[in-house]
Amino acid sequence: MMASLLHEELVLLNYQADNAEILLKELATILHQQGYVKDSYIQAILDREKEFPTGLNTPGVKLAMPHAAPKHVYKEAILVAKLAQPVVFKEMGNSGKNVEASLIFMLAVQDPKNHLDALSKLMSIFSQKEKLLEVYNTVDKKRLIEKLNTVLN
Amino acid sequence: MKRIYVACGSGVATSQTVASKISSMCEDEGLDVAIEAVDIKSLENIIDQCDIYVSIVSNEANIFDKPTVSGIPFLTGIGMDDEWEKLKSFIEL
Repeated sequence: MMASLLHEELVLLNYQADNAEILLKELATILHQQGYVKDSYIQAILDREKEFPTGLNTPGVKLAMPHAAPKHVYKEAILVAKLAQPVVFKEMGNSGKNVEASLIFMLAVQDPKNHLDALSKLMSIFSQKEKLLEVYNTVDKKRLIEKLNTVLN
Repeated sequence: MKRIYVACGSGVATSQTVASKISSMCEDEGLDVAIEAVDIKSLENIIDQCDIYVSIVSNEANIFDKPTVSGIPFLTGIGMDDEWEKLKSFIEL
């Protein structure tokens, strides 16, 4: 169920980072410290982003959805980070283009079949400007989780 | 029946979601397809087995001699209609 993928300790508001690499390292480290992923996940996220970037020039709010292979994951979760200022990511599938991402969904996925429904629903809001803006403009963690849960369940 | 492969970096999130989306769009229109999500590293070995390739990665190592459409529009919604028409035209070939 989607509800168990979101946790208050994995929702970060007004997060500050100078660049994507620092940001990814810090966010992945949080997932590791909270016990969701192995420490190999951190490097895997960085490597993967270099090879297969995850930035998306979505309408309303630009975002990135970094993730790594299931073998680095202990417990599935989604970390949501709202950035205090945009960080440049490279666009998925389009080598070269920049994405000034303000919203990050870092995914720890173990078995995609378990959460295909939830992941599909999450990505379905990527094309919905109003939904993205609504999520982005929420200032309270609990409310943000509630909002995402209604969208995703 | 047309076989469609969707490939992304890890085969766990993006390709699964795009595959799922395309699958239901095809179902809605009664199109006879089999869609599979794969990771880009395995793709090279099996690319010959598919009829159409949906790409979520774009680099030189990713050009195959197969009818190809971009999968990203199915994620972001931007330009999705055009890619959908393109995909349908390949399915109906």
